[in-house]
Amino acid sequence: MDMLASLLHITPAVLWMVLKVVIVFGGVMSLAAIFTWVERRGSAMIQDRIGPNRAALFGKIRIIGLAQILADGIKMFFKEDLVPTDSNRNLFWLAPFLAFVPALLGFAVIPFGKSFSSGGATYHLSVLDPGNGMGMLYPLAIGGMAVYGVLVAAWSSNNKWSILGGMRASAAMVSYEIGMSLAVVSIFMTTGGYDPSEIISSQGGTFLGVLPNWNIFHQPLGFIVFFTCMFAETNRLPFDFAEGESEIVAGFNTEFGSMKFSLMALAEYSHMMTASALIATLYFGGWQVPFVQNPPVLLSVACFVLKLLFFAWVFVWIRWTLPRFRYDQLMALGWKRMLPLAMVNLVFHAWRMSQGH
Amino acid sequence: MFITFALITLLGAIGMLLQKNVIVAGLCMVVAFFGVAGLFVLLANPVAAALQIIVYTGAIMVLVLFVIMMLNSHEEEKAQASHPVQKWVSLALVVAAAIGAVNLVVASPGLKALGIKGAEMPQAMTLQKVGTLLFADHVLGFEVAGLLLLAAMIGAVALTKRNL
Repeated sequence: MDMLASLLHITPAVLWMVLKVVIVFGGVMSLAAIFTWVERRGSAMIQDRIGPNRAALFGKIRIIGLAQILADGIKMFFKEDLVPTDSNRNLFWLAPFLAFVPALLGFAVIPFGKSFSSGGATYHLSVLDPGNGMGMLYPLAIGGMAVYGVLVAAWSSNNKWSILGGMRASAAMVSYEIGMSLAVVSIFMTTGGYDPSEIISSQGGTFLGVLPNWNIFHQPLGFIVFFTCMFAETNRLPFDFAEGESEIVAGFNTEFGSMKFSLMALAEYSHMMTASALIATLYFGGWQVPFVQNPPVLLSVACFVLKLLFFAWVFVWIRWTLPRFRYDQLMALGWKRMLPLAMVNLVFHAWRMSQGH
Repeated sequence: MFITFALITLLGAIGMLLQKNVIVAGLCMVVAFFGVAGLFVLLANPVAAALQIIVYTGAIMVLVLFVIMMLNSHEEEKAQASHPVQKWVSLALVVAAAIGAVNLVVASPGLKALGIKGAEMPQAMTLQKVGTLLFADHVLGFEVAGLLLLAAMIGAVALTKRNL
């Protein structure tokens, strides 16, 4: 590390930062791209079809259809880029970025492996080092920004289906944010800290001797609330009111074509990755390996990635298993079920803590 | 860094005032909020920055834009009769407020502490410290604010649901 840094005439800290940014954002973006393919293959599997398996590199190398991602990308780049005549042009251009950037940024604070020290310096495996003062507030803040992508896309296309999709989605996202925050607050409370690294290190060891000491076993109710809210936040089925293609054409991205549409789709999948990482960090011990006291760094990274991929797959799985909710059902679920459940969870854990547990 | 965030805040605020389109004005305000959040980070208060983004940009501005879109008013309406007096009064008020703010900053003890070498550097704010401050030092203010918000909430429900 030090040698490479001196070769490039930068300090090791800067090199490490650059490496982390490249690894994290490159990793999340490529995972998101791969998941567009996983989604299609997964839906095919669930619906007893075959799915895209024809695309091949140079017409020969087929690798179970993975070349489909590349083919889709190239196709999207070369499509005609249409902008509706009565749209607000500047905002129409801005919308895909407003959707994409927050989806990626949320990942910055999540540790994807155990910190290690080498040559007298400690290296943390998260873009923002622990103790930055923002902690888990940061993904919550950035998650709140995701609404703007949907809202701006919907409004700028000047299309009644778009605006319907945008309004429904933004109302849903804002309502589910409250339940989500309350679920996260009870984690802060029991952990006694709000930094993701503190939350993860508090989840080491075992619970009752047989289970890993993960928050899901301490707060199953909080997990249910957070998990449900994550579906609403990422706009995935059963809560995909932004799109709702059987009701309002394609909702907020009806008018988006070519690479703009592609960015919107990638934003959805990146958001899914961030959401899976949050679920893994908050409720499933992050990089903690079950029943292993001090896991090696590489094992911890592998464990985190495995958890992330599992939850990303759960997102796909649920999308192709459950039908879409009705809008009023979604609102009733958010305000009359999830919010009270989150409050019960919070008060219960506050009471337990006051009893000295 | 300070100049960058200050410029972002100012440009956002000016853009909001000059924009005729209400939605774009709202988005400019979001930019200004982001600049303010950046300034909070520079002031070693990342908690305030996060809360600024969560509360103002994540919730309040979304609801404001939501209502604007619902009412579907794209352009700002012209005032029926413009009074030049209003312009002068507002300008005078702004100047007075600016002078007052600058005076406050110049007279603040923090600025004097900057001149002393070896003075204690302020510690970064954490959520734990905010909690202790709220519930130990400012518990009365906290409770009053809570009561006020509760009253406002009940008032809003009573206004919208006349026949419960």
